[in-house]
Amino acid sequence: MSTPVDDELWSAIGDPTRRTLIDLLLAAGAGTATSLSADLPLTRQAVSKHLAVLDRVGLVRAEPAGRERRYRVDEAQLARAAAQLAAVGTSWDARLRRIKHIAEAIERSRDHTEGE
Amino acid sequence: MEYGSIEREIHVDASPEVVFEVVSRPEHMREWWPDDARFKSVPGAPGELFWRDETTGETMTVALTVVEVDPPSRFSFRWCYTDAERGGDSLLVTFDLLPTEQGTRVRMTETGFREMGWEIAVLEEQYRDHVSGWDHYIPRLDAYIARVVSAA
Repeated sequence: MSTPVDDELWSAIGDPTRRTLIDLLLAAGAGTATSLSADLPLTRQAVSKHLAVLDRVGLVRAEPAGRERRYRVDEAQLARAAAQLAAVGTSWDARLRRIKHIAEAIERSRDHTEGE
Repeated sequence: MEYGSIEREIHVDASPEVVFEVVSRPEHMREWWPDDARFKSVPGAPGELFWRDETTGETMTVALTVVEVDPPSRFSFRWCYTDAERGGDSLLVTFDLLPTEQGTRVRMTETGFREMGWEIAVLEEQYRDHVSGWDHYIPRLDAYIARVVSAA
């Protein structure tokens, strides 16, 4: 049935701004709240808050960089999130395929009965 | 609160009447979804879906409520309640059936609150199509995810 999903991880990545931050970090390799806020219509403080959420679920890792913290994407954790996504998102496709098979089998058996 | 939804369409070579039975009757539903399903196909009827864990032998029960029963065009129900006794937020699953020349076009929509985790489904949609929602950053992240998944 449904795959266990880490709710906190998903609510962290469920936010479009945070996904943008992940993407910017992937593109640049690393970034600080200051460098990231330069590419976004957000204050440094707002970016810091989003980075803290990502940090809490392990999607990014921080190291001190002067008076700031430099963040990188944790690729293993992002891979884990992506794997969950792949497993859960395909579930309705599988259910609908089964609905199709069952309904078509019933339809065929009815046609057959009527044809006799 | 923010809503999200996932939509899927599939064509079935069977009449809407047949498809309606398959999506709305518990004896059919357990063939395409849970290990067992118990509910009456009546608006407002409470019901349960059951999954058995083969390894532990435990059974998980999930509450649902039938919402609309409009044969042969629409069946909907709520599930994934956040609170006990069918309270709090929930996800609404709707099957709309449209007759076609050869059979039925089935459109499934699942809507709910973002906080509930539907974003997983929405993200999957966006990864697949990446035409909307994720703006111009999508293709890069999409390619990255594809790479890490295939490498895993």
